[in-house]
Amino acid sequence: MEGVAEPRPAVDARAGSEGTRIDLDGVCRYFQVGDTVVKALDDVNLHVDESAFVVALGASGSGKTTLLNLIGSLDAPTAGTVRLAGVELTTASRAERTRARRSTVSFIFQSFNLFPGLTALENVQFGADVAGRDAPETVARQVLESVGLGDRARHFAHQLSGGEQQRVAIARALATGNPILLADEPTGELDFHTGVQILELLRAQAEAGKTVIVVTHNREISRVADRVIELSSGRIVADHRPVGGPAAIADLHW
Amino acid sequence: MAQTGLWLRWSWRDLRRRWPVVTAIALVIALGTGTYAGLLSTSAWRTQSNDASFALLNTHDLRVALPSGSTTEEGRLAAVVASLEHAGDVAAARERLVVPTQIAGPGDLLVTGELVGTDTLPGAAVDGVHVTRGRALGAADDGAGAVVADESFADKNHLTVGSELTVSGGARLEVVGRGQSPEYFIVTGGQGGLPFLTQKGYGVLFASLHTVQRAAGADGQVNDLVLTLRPGADRARVAAELSRALEIAQPPLAADLTTRDDIDAYRVLYDDIDGDEQLWRIVALLVLVGAAFASMNLTTRVVEAQRREIGIGMALGVPTWRLAVRPLLFGAQIAVLGVLLGLGVGWAVSIPLRDVFVGMIPLPIWRTPLQADVFAQAAVLGLLLPFVAIAWPVWRALLVQPVEAIRVGHLAARGSGLAPLLSRLRVPGRGYRQIPVRNVLRTPRRTLLTAFGIASAITTLVTTVGLLDTFGATLDRAEAEMLHTAPDRVSVALDTFQPLDGDVVRTVEQLPEVGSLEAGLRIPAVADPDGEGVDLLVDVLPAGARWQPTLVDGQPDGGLLLAEEAAADLGVGVGDAVTVEHPQATATGLRTVRTTMVVAGLHPNPMRVFAYLDPAAADALGLAGTANVMSVTPAEGRSADDVRRALLEVPHVASAQTPQAAIDGMRTTLDEFVGILNVAALITLLLALLIAFNTTSIAVDERSREHATMLAFGLPVRTVLGMTAVETVIVGALGTLGGIGGGYLVLRWMSATTISDVLPEVGVTASLSATTVVGALLLGIATVGLAPLFTLRRMRRTDIPSALRVME
Repeated sequence: MEGVAEPRPAVDARAGSEGTRIDLDGVCRYFQVGDTVVKALDDVNLHVDESAFVVALGASGSGKTTLLNLIGSLDAPTAGTVRLAGVELTTASRAERTRARRSTVSFIFQSFNLFPGLTALENVQFGADVAGRDAPETVARQVLESVGLGDRARHFAHQLSGGEQQRVAIARALATGNPILLADEPTGELDFHTGVQILELLRAQAEAGKTVIVVTHNREISRVADRVIELSSGRIVADHRPVGGPAAIADLHW
Repeated sequence: MAQTGLWLRWSWRDLRRRWPVVTAIALVIALGTGTYAGLLSTSAWRTQSNDASFALLNTHDLRVALPSGSTTEEGRLAAVVASLEHAGDVAAARERLVVPTQIAGPGDLLVTGELVGTDTLPGAAVDGVHVTRGRALGAADDGAGAVVADESFADKNHLTVGSELTVSGGARLEVVGRGQSPEYFIVTGGQGGLPFLTQKGYGVLFASLHTVQRAAGADGQVNDLVLTLRPGADRARVAAELSRALEIAQPPLAADLTTRDDIDAYRVLYDDIDGDEQLWRIVALLVLVGAAFASMNLTTRVVEAQRREIGIGMALGVPTWRLAVRPLLFGAQIAVLGVLLGLGVGWAVSIPLRDVFVGMIPLPIWRTPLQADVFAQAAVLGLLLPFVAIAWPVWRALLVQPVEAIRVGHLAARGSGLAPLLSRLRVPGRGYRQIPVRNVLRTPRRTLLTAFGIASAITTLVTTVGLLDTFGATLDRAEAEMLHTAPDRVSVALDTFQPLDGDVVRTVEQLPEVGSLEAGLRIPAVADPDGEGVDLLVDVLPAGARWQPTLVDGQPDGGLLLAEEAAADLGVGVGDAVTVEHPQATATGLRTVRTTMVVAGLHPNPMRVFAYLDPAAADALGLAGTANVMSVTPAEGRSADDVRRALLEVPHVASAQTPQAAIDGMRTTLDEFVGILNVAALITLLLALLIAFNTTSIAVDERSREHATMLAFGLPVRTVLGMTAVETVIVGALGTLGGIGGGYLVLRWMSATTISDVLPEVGVTASLSATTVVGALLLGIATVGLAPLFTLRRMRRTDIPSALRVME
């Protein structure tokens, strides 16, 4: 039976070097819409084996969210293999995939996806508890403080601004302690200044040793990335590191 | 679990946010389980009350009854009992004179009935009278004109202590008390030869033996003896000795020996418990199934509303079993509330049920304690139902891919299943006015779920109210048959067989109130006595009688005319032979014989008991030249009541009744029977309203973001509300039509199975009245159509930006 208290798998990031490794080989994801087959991803190969701030860049419909869902095992590929922290997700059972999500990746969604019935603190505590961390409430308070929301701990989602909600979502992801953060358009619903704050938070996580993958259509964001993957029509059309290294976040504008 | 407190807090917030839905679902379950508990408690009540009531009045163990019209000297039957080898086993024996009579009284009271005369000797009574008002009879009343009137008869005819009554033969009697006696706790068709009697239209008067002897002109005569046995006595042995003693008695005593189990009231009161329980169980289960289905429907919608949050949990890697905790806690809230409310509903339901039973069955003792075991069953059902109801939607929600669960707008139309096909249908209107119809077509699953929720309630309602319609239609059929000609006739029953040219017939014929008279015979018989054993009342109608049965098949003469229901039960048709056990006149009296008769035709009267023979075919009865019934037509300017009053003075007239009165008697009997259905109908009406409203209300909630979008685009609230109402009315109409169809099918099934077991003497055909159909349509459509109105305030106060946010 699945359970939060059971030992982490051997492939846990905190237990070995494969903890942040992501391997996609020949991955395809097709959707049948009426009589049409939509190729959201088509023969994608991607390998991430280091702590870094990776930006997957692409226009709407390019397949970047699908890519993130496959990495995070929210979805299964039509063809190809996905390995996360050494775990082959394509053939994994439902329980194994759930365990991989619980111990390896943390999601940050464009639309925050906080539980409306829980306070900010409880949402964060939920992440820590699910990941099996000791003293989840203490962890949650610390993380919430670290994102600057210590004074909003008892507020519910609808009582927070968009930026605050996204910071709570990031805090929830951080509270898991998982080595990979997957952020889907994390600044998509935020104004420039709040978006920059969020990027600073995510960038700091990469510098602290986590792998952060951000998908976005905003080319400006790719300037602060360690690595940029560009997608178009379901294919990776470019995979490069910004020339001269990542720009300072303070230089961004959109 | 590390975060038990968090989950409980979360669940408590869910409850606070959703308390109207939780309460509504709990109330639906409570109505189901409460009705179940209430209806099924009645069996135990009746058994306990019967036991106590029959014991209270020393109900006889054995009864000796002489054939109708014959008597013997007072003391002779007692002497036979005293001569038995085991006479010591007899605790008490009482001789009686029981005679049919007509009773006239205050106002227009004029009914048929019985005079029951028992000796007033000191000692334990047999078939005693439990006096409810006035006083009991004592030694001083021996031979005096004092009677105790049957409580129910007196109550329904407003007789009080001191009321003056006149009985057949002209004797005047004074009511000194009102009371109840075991053989007359309820009056049945077995007494007086009339198939349907009511306590209002059938009077029983208890008097001293000598009082009845004088009133009946039978001084020194008795025709009946009842006895009780000592505890532990062998009833079969005493009965065998008594039977033998009667056989060898000189001069002969052609007496019937019966036991307590043969008492009509005793048999019917106990047998009906099983039969009625079968019916109540089905009604209760129907309500329960309706409630279960509705709660499943409602919980499905609630879980669907949580589906995105379940998806978020999946994305965070929450184990599957743990994702199920929150909806299961929701189920637990419903379960606890449902059980508590169910106990309340069960108690509330039991109050009108108790009133119905106490009014319908006038027993001296009614025991109606809370039936803990039945309520415990209901509580278990109430606890299990929400979990069963929630298990399926939770299972479905947990099976989807996380990416599906987390998708924004998961409640919107999906491009699978029937939706693509249905979306191609042309719909009326233009632009956004098509949205309601398009919504219905594009989301077939949600449409069906809502429609099923409404249909389940309407099915239950239509079935329950349809039972009332069915009984009503059955009586209408009986009425149409009995009144199709000569509705003014008075059916006169005589207490003995009288020569056609004898004094009694001649006296009646010569009454100035009588226009014409047709004398005939009415014989109790049993068709196929070794098989189906269908009780019949065979009327031998004189040639050219004013009223003749309608024929649905066969010929009017040449054999037996049976009711269609009787023929179906016997498995015979026109031209088939059937064995009939009937009395036959011989030189020494009546004896029971079996004759094979041919079924000449079938009549449509739904009352199975009625059968007819033409005079030529009646030879087997050996009663040619005699009559025990007469059909009297009032003289010009005289009414049926005039005839009945005039007949009161004629000796040997046992009863005089118009066919309309007979129909009214049947209607009263069935009305009492269906009294409980009225309670059930009221509950299902409430259930239907609750389910329909909640189903619609949840459906409206699901559309809140769409509504916010419409409002954002500047559509006025009334337009959005109107569109919502159109959508819900379409779904309501679908559900209601389905419910009416489903209800009719269940009703047909019940008519063919349960009702024919419970009321074998009546040929019931499932029937729905126009009122029921229109009422169900109005209820189903109007309720769901009006439900959006309750969201008017919420819609007016919609915080559009907030409602448009993705959070669900």
